[in-house]
Amino acid sequence: MPDINLRLLTVHRIKEALQAQVAVGENLLDTHITGIYASDLMSDILAYGKTGSILLTGMNSIQTAVSSYMAEFKAIVFLRGKKPTEDILKFAQGKGLILLTTRTDMYEACIKIAQIDGQLLPGSETAPSLDKEIDVAMHRFNIEGGDFTTAGMISTEIKEILNSIGYEPKLVRRVAISTYEGEMNVVMHAQKGIVTVKASDEEILVNLDDEGKGIPDVEKAMQEGFTTATEEQRALGFGSGMGLPNMKKNADILHVTSEVGKGTHVAMKFIVKK
Amino acid sequence: MKARECNHNWRMIHVAYGYIITEKCSKCEIISTYFTFEDRPPLEEYREGDHYWNVVESAQSFRFDFKCASCGQTEKFEELMGLLMCIGCDKKCEVAKLQEILEKEKTWVYVAFGFLPKASHKQLSAEKIAMLEDFFNRRRNSADSRIKIVSQELVADYSLCYGKVIKDVNMLSLTVPEEGAKQSTSHSGGK
Amino acid sequence: MKLQEIIEKLNLQVLTKSEAKNVQGVFISDLLSDVMTSANAGDLWLTVQTHHNIIAVANLVNIAAIVVTHGKKVPEETITLGNRYHVIILSTPKTIFEIASSLNAIGLKSQ
Repeated sequence: MPDINLRLLTVHRIKEALQAQVAVGENLLDTHITGIYASDLMSDILAYGKTGSILLTGMNSIQTAVSSYMAEFKAIVFLRGKKPTEDILKFAQGKGLILLTTRTDMYEACIKIAQIDGQLLPGSETAPSLDKEIDVAMHRFNIEGGDFTTAGMISTEIKEILNSIGYEPKLVRRVAISTYEGEMNVVMHAQKGIVTVKASDEEILVNLDDEGKGIPDVEKAMQEGFTTATEEQRALGFGSGMGLPNMKKNADILHVTSEVGKGTHVAMKFIVKK
Repeated sequence: MKARECNHNWRMIHVAYGYIITEKCSKCEIISTYFTFEDRPPLEEYREGDHYWNVVESAQSFRFDFKCASCGQTEKFEELMGLLMCIGCDKKCEVAKLQEILEKEKTWVYVAFGFLPKASHKQLSAEKIAMLEDFFNRRRNSADSRIKIVSQELVADYSLCYGKVIKDVNMLSLTVPEEGAKQSTSHSGGK
Repeated sequence: MKLQEIIEKLNLQVLTKSEAKNVQGVFISDLLSDVMTSANAGDLWLTVQTHHNIIAVANLVNIAAIVVTHGKKVPEETITLGNRYHVIILSTPKTIFEIASSLNAIGLKSQ
């Protein structure tokens, strides 16, 4: 039997390679990494990021931290000397998300990490099954429109609730990401809104109701590619950031009704597989 | 070397990231823009004088000053909103006409915009535009092509420009963009 | 390093007309602001952005070529502008991290 000295890639080894500082998570540095993702776009993090990865980015906004958490990343490296602000630090501390900072740029960082002698931890494909009965759990949250610093907080809370109930991680991730998209829409386009979650052992239902400007053409908004808003649409407050196509991809059933000037109602159903 | 004798070698200093906010008045439809470090633009319509402003866009950008690496002279560039590359959308526009002539010599035309509306904001002087042009051309380090920066005085109406000032829009968007966009077939020509 | 060599070794798809170019470094960012403040002339720019302002930034800074990663679809409009303004756009289905590793493996250093 060959002596396999399998060195696994940890956050600590990446930190050393990049000569990075630890902003959050000094005690979590032995965490193993399943993947490396380099991006400045949050939509990509949510769409393509692999659970257990480390993110390399030049984009230091609170939404980077929230997106990373939703995508179940373990750590973020802020490059080119970008420093996380107070709200980012607090969020990361609360979620056990490791934050590193370095002066290195993206290319150098990729090279240095590629040169580390270490293996990525294989991602886990098996999912625990939900073998306990759940009473119907209902939760209701208020969203404040325009408040980008708290945007995503409700979705993260919902994610934690669903995780603690014991739903399968992939399902929780899909629900969390869709709810996050919906929450961001309300924050970006409405005065305020309400999210309700109803979770049972059959299904998880998430409803979002807002008093925003409404969507004039729901059909169109559901189409992928309807992301580049015209000047007119932007002037009315619509456009990129609708998130509907992504929600449609993640939810098993999605219903959207809207009235211009009144608001929008989004209903999502996620089926719990046995 | 005395400042006025110096053939300045400009460098960007005091680089600071922030946001360019674009607002539109719901009554008269004029556009207003400004730079801020505040990441939360007002969500609701607000009144200021005769105008009723609504935020149309918040885009990431940066501001900077110049310092000469040779003589140490500094210049502020607070009045610069950004640079727009002419894409020739309106053949009657003075900038588009200039671009058509200059592109034959591989010179690309950019318009330096101050904040809007023009009447309410200090716009860039010819001297400052020349500094910008000099900085970027030196940095490009190319014998083959150059850029020419012109004043937004040549642009009849920015709101009609198909091109947009260089800035980062939709960075907070969670939607994967352009999945349905047509992919062009690869071009097999060229060297 | 010659652009053509990079195109061949990394199996990049060429979407616009191409020209002989000397690539002097690599710059990775999706933020146009970062390219304007920090990229160097002659850099190969890796990004997932595909809207027409990538042409504006590429020419302002004199990027050697743009590599659009993750198999992102580049709109016709951007390609047409690239051809008109002599900006070379390349494409790959690989991730930024993968391409960065490959570029390093063939010997391309940062400036």
